[in-house]
Amino acid sequence: MNPFLYCLFISIIFTSDQIPAPPQSQPILLKGGDIYTVSQGILTNSDILFEKGIITQIAKNIQPPENTQVIEAAGKHIYPGLISAISTLGLQEIGAVRATRDYAETGSMNPNVRANVSYNPDSELIPISRSNGILLANSVPRSGRISGMSSLMMLDGWTWEDASLKDTVALHIFWPSMKQPKPGKKKKKKDKDKKDSRLESIQELDDFFKDARAYHKLKSSNSPSFKTDLKLESMEPFINGRLPLIIHANEVRQIEAAVFWAERNNVNMILAGGKDSWRVIPLLKEKNIPVIYTQTHSQPSRRFEEFDQSYKTPLMLYEGGVKYCISNSESPFQTPHIRNLPYHAAKAGSYDLPWSEALRSVTLSTAEILGIADRVGSLETGKEATLFIADGDILEVRTTVETAFIQGRIIDLTDRHKDLYEKYQEKYRQKGLLD
Amino acid sequence: MIKLINWLIFISMSGLTAQVEPVEGLHTHLPGVWALTGGTIYTTPANKLENATIVIRDGFIEEVGRKITLPKDATKIDMKGKTIYPGFIESWMEIPVDDNDKEDADSHWNFKVHAGRKMSKLYRPDTKKLESYHKMGFTAAHVVPDSGIFKGITSLIQLNNEGTVLTPSVSQGIGYEVDGWGSDKYPNALLGVVALIRQTLSDGNWYIEAEKKTKNYPQINPPLKKNTDLKSIGYWREEKFPFIFETNHELSALRSQQIAREFDLNYWIKGSGYEYRRLSELSESKPYIILPLDFPVTPDISHPYQELSYSTSELKHWDMAAGNPAALSDSGIPYSLTSFELSEKEFRKNLQKSIERGLSQRDALAALTTIPAEKMGASKILGKIKPGYLANLTIVQGDYFEKDAKVISTWVGGIEYPVIPPYTQEVAGEWTLNYDAKSFHLHLKQKGKVYTGTIEKDTTEYKLSKLKVEGNFISWKVQWDSLSVPTRFTGHIIDGTMEGTIPAEQFVWAATKTGDITEKKEKKQDTSLPPDYQVSFPDGTYGSKSYPPLKQDVLIQNATIWTSGNRGKLENHDILFSKGRVAEIGKGLKAAKSVTVINGEGKHITPGLIDCHSHSAAFSINEGTQSVTAEVRIQDVLNSDDITIYRELAGGLTMANILHGSANTIGGQNAVIKLRWGGTQADILYENAMPGIKFALGENVKQSNWGDDYTTRYPQTRMGVEQILRDAFAAAEAYKKEWKDFTQYPKKWKKKVPPRRDLELEALAEILEGKRQIHCHSYRQDEIMMLTRVAEDFGFTVGVFQHVLEGYKVADRLKDHGAMASTFSDWWAYKYEVIDAIPYNGALMTDVGVNVSFNSDSRELARRMNTEAAKGVKYGGLSEEEALKLVTINPAIQLGIDTWVGSLEKGKDADFVIWSNHPLSTKAVCEQTWIDGRKYFSIEQDEELKQRDKTLRAKLTDKILTTKESGKKEWKHSEEKSATHHHCIEDEK
Repeated sequence: MNPFLYCLFISIIFTSDQIPAPPQSQPILLKGGDIYTVSQGILTNSDILFEKGIITQIAKNIQPPENTQVIEAAGKHIYPGLISAISTLGLQEIGAVRATRDYAETGSMNPNVRANVSYNPDSELIPISRSNGILLANSVPRSGRISGMSSLMMLDGWTWEDASLKDTVALHIFWPSMKQPKPGKKKKKKDKDKKDSRLESIQELDDFFKDARAYHKLKSSNSPSFKTDLKLESMEPFINGRLPLIIHANEVRQIEAAVFWAERNNVNMILAGGKDSWRVIPLLKEKNIPVIYTQTHSQPSRRFEEFDQSYKTPLMLYEGGVKYCISNSESPFQTPHIRNLPYHAAKAGSYDLPWSEALRSVTLSTAEILGIADRVGSLETGKEATLFIADGDILEVRTTVETAFIQGRIIDLTDRHKDLYEKYQEKYRQKGLLD
Repeated sequence: MIKLINWLIFISMSGLTAQVEPVEGLHTHLPGVWALTGGTIYTTPANKLENATIVIRDGFIEEVGRKITLPKDATKIDMKGKTIYPGFIESWMEIPVDDNDKEDADSHWNFKVHAGRKMSKLYRPDTKKLESYHKMGFTAAHVVPDSGIFKGITSLIQLNNEGTVLTPSVSQGIGYEVDGWGSDKYPNALLGVVALIRQTLSDGNWYIEAEKKTKNYPQINPPLKKNTDLKSIGYWREEKFPFIFETNHELSALRSQQIAREFDLNYWIKGSGYEYRRLSELSESKPYIILPLDFPVTPDISHPYQELSYSTSELKHWDMAAGNPAALSDSGIPYSLTSFELSEKEFRKNLQKSIERGLSQRDALAALTTIPAEKMGASKILGKIKPGYLANLTIVQGDYFEKDAKVISTWVGGIEYPVIPPYTQEVAGEWTLNYDAKSFHLHLKQKGKVYTGTIEKDTTEYKLSKLKVEGNFISWKVQWDSLSVPTRFTGHIIDGTMEGTIPAEQFVWAATKTGDITEKKEKKQDTSLPPDYQVSFPDGTYGSKSYPPLKQDVLIQNATIWTSGNRGKLENHDILFSKGRVAEIGKGLKAAKSVTVINGEGKHITPGLIDCHSHSAAFSINEGTQSVTAEVRIQDVLNSDDITIYRELAGGLTMANILHGSANTIGGQNAVIKLRWGGTQADILYENAMPGIKFALGENVKQSNWGDDYTTRYPQTRMGVEQILRDAFAAAEAYKKEWKDFTQYPKKWKKKVPPRRDLELEALAEILEGKRQIHCHSYRQDEIMMLTRVAEDFGFTVGVFQHVLEGYKVADRLKDHGAMASTFSDWWAYKYEVIDAIPYNGALMTDVGVNVSFNSDSRELARRMNTEAAKGVKYGGLSEEEALKLVTINPAIQLGIDTWVGSLEKGKDADFVIWSNHPLSTKAVCEQTWIDGRKYFSIEQDEELKQRDKTLRAKLTDKILTTKESGKKEWKHSEEKSATHHHCIEDEK
């Protein structure tokens, strides 16, 4: 196929039909619903009022200002928008089609690349996600050792700039494998001299951070030998602890190594993945490391582990006093499926994590860990009106999201799937096979 | 075996047969009449003679006994203090062969079939190897080729310099040799390997028949393409000669047992060391096993996280392995031992370990002598010390089964092969040294090859330096005081005396031994106790104490019962299960005393969930080397020990349809299993299921997402896929026709070569006949429609479209054709052909009238199929009962097993789940899972098992950490895991 035609073809296919909403122009009152504030429990049969995108009041029987759009919510559940802590949303369309993958820059150290500049606001995956209440997502580059900076996106907007809630959430490091094989055949002398790739990889990180610090010293002291280096330049907020590092690690040795490395380098670390985090709970607590747990829907890593380990880990983190949140799986294969985020939390809930804690683990806890809790994550006055109305418990599969708002804007909840469903229902109606 | 002996072509005796070749130079005639006297002799494993004599004449044993008149012509050899055993037989000695060498034009088409290869032709003695075998006491060996699927004919040979063949044809070797995904030659997966074994065994018989027919009726039958490999196999089967299957774990032994049963083979097994785990099954046929003593080294768990890389069953095997030979003896399974892959030291050590763990010396000796001799067709010449037998002897200083006892020499066919050279002298001990008319005390010590010693002179001890003992030569120097020049001694040793000189001083010295070293040698005791834990099924974490669990009659009272049948959902009802079946559903049911009563208040009961698309529990998933591999069968490669089975049970799953992968258009035959945890392959296979086969369409079979290197295998387009299908079915039609003709008109075929059974075409012909249904991996509407049309052209119906993500676009076509649909609840966008996949697919197809199921295609998802079903409610508004059917009765219908399972109705199997909550709720936890009226999972049982396994693991790690042995040696005992490589999705989750 002619490459030009091919591009055209792809762009036709991969553009969603949903129209981004205009800014909130009039106050909106949701009336008489059960409000899951997350921060202050459940307020039954209450109202919530928001203006210009900000929640102004939550109470029973609010007297709305003039010109308020009133939406009846009796018997409904009102939730803060769910937050997907890690995914490649907006950075990929079809996993198997290389032309549509934009999350992996080449090379090992890419601290300078930032997710939102290649976030495609017209991706079909976005309306699909928000249809189930996922209204915010942290878009994460993933490749090499340092993959780049993630951006917190609102799942509606004409451009990536409109959609960005926070340009830079964190710097992402994919921790090297620390696995040691079982004793093998005797090493040849040649192999014995080989450097330990585990130690080498960590040394590379150390060196990179040392260079970054030296670079910014040159820069701040107006040194004549200072020359711009984009990679080192981008490190400033992270070496100064203003923004966190999200370190991706699952295996216990990786986790331990990462925690000690972060302490040595005096950086602000968040652990992502955390499959083995239950094995080092006292360490995580002692060092105050928050965990973005992505493994609820996964098998135990080892044959001899308990069958329900992945389900129980959130409860263990909770009871162990570790700050944590629950995320969908971070695998790009799962990006089209992040709409199932609430069920990850529910699985932990069915294994004794308190149900309210399960909800918190995909809303406020996530916002706190990602540094956006001042704006989103719970329903409180002064916070953004990024919320939705559902016909039941959002942690249950059978529940449907009916209306959603991002910064008070009413979101189009149609999506590619609903459209195709409509289209083919029509086929069978035409054929007399459906009513 | 008697037949085999008759079949021996010749028996030749080492160095004693009439020489064929002309003599160069002078004739050599070494004496061959010896009397070994004064030794302890085991004439058989059971019969020990003290202070007895063996007379050897010209390679044979002439006489053995305690009171023998020595023949006048015999020369005596003193064997006092020595033990003489019948010469040991090494039961497995591999010889390198090259599989790419096809011997001649008559060879089999497949590069791994070398059935005609004869080890008696290929074996060449190698002096160095002979020495190492003699050192262990071996005098004869069973030589086998080291590679191939049909490896060739093994032989029994003498371990002498001539390599004399004793039994040229012992067995035909079969190996499950898997090259893996990297190879593009068929077969590269275990699936294909087993299929090739089955096809070739079948071909062997056909070939013999075909050869007879063509020979007798040359004017009717065209000349037969010669195939020496098939001929050999056919002959071998006909004569009931043994086939030896090389196994790497207990399940591969059971697989071999199944193949042997199918083809009525006399079968042997090259063991794995794991036999103790499945003794009762192996005892059914009691095959002869050649058993390696290759025990695991001590696991390296010095680092607490390194410990995590060992599963509990691996740790347990470390402690259980040495008990394997004794366990086989107790079960009456015949076996012989091999040192294969072990050094002399390791073999001896592991043999001692086996004895510490209950192996009797008598059984051990039989496993080295009489048993292999009998099995390998040499029971009348080898294995015993008896007149008329070959003079094969193993001579040991002391008892072979004691640690320090050394093999002194071996005799092979009347020729002695010394292990310790005769010139070797023991010097360690107390000596009196005389020279210069003085007498001194000399004290010599030996540790390995290092000698040390002292001389006492004038009550002072002087240390000897540079003390060297080389054979019977000895030398040292000694410094009497710091000022003088050292005195240098040199001499030689003969049986307790030494003589020599001090050249510089012109002295002659002499010494006599006065005693052995008096130092107490503390015997290191092995402090490790034998294991006190039982084998579980499977062994290791979560294994059951026994299999199967008890069958119980159960009454559940006042529960919500989701029948998935005509009665729908019943609240506050009782359900009675009896004799493994649903007996009654109603209110106020009464139970006999023997019935287990469960309070069902607040609980929900559903049928056991069924997953219509799974790749769990199989060692091999895809034979992807050819576009059509209908002959391969998942049932041949099931891994009933896969922990996934337990994990899925814990999610309420009771059955799964294990499918071949989707890398090729026509894949292999699927297997429907019940998750009978603890059972074997045969136990989990569900016999009532409709036979099936995996097909695949679209991107995977045209290798679209495999990278730029995969652009030549046919097909590369969906157009080509259709043609592959039509071509295969056309071939199957012709095949079917030929066989029909053959069975209908036997007279016509009396003189003709019969049609050859082709496992691939046979499976395809079964599809045409409606006896085997297609499970077709498919995505796009065009290809779905295409396959229905191809099927209609060939007169059959497609059974189930798998994935079928655009099924909603052609639901009317599916319905008209009569196909069913097994789909994902909500997957999409992972590759281009699923861009139009929608979660409403299941509901919309249901609404149009297609039978729909939701499947997992994932070990992880299969653990929570109840909430997958709930998506049928969420997307498209199915009723809750209808949604649950997506994972119960609907997949049962799709697999042709709804007569027995899938719903809770009277007479159906007692396969059910007790849920803590509404089964479609994310709050629901599976509390109990029952199959056939047996409780395979419950939260309480699980808790017990967790505690048991924790205790066991702690015990094992403690034991390992207190074991002195270092744990840095190579670990060769990792568990074989189920395959995960397949191509249903492009990305590992």
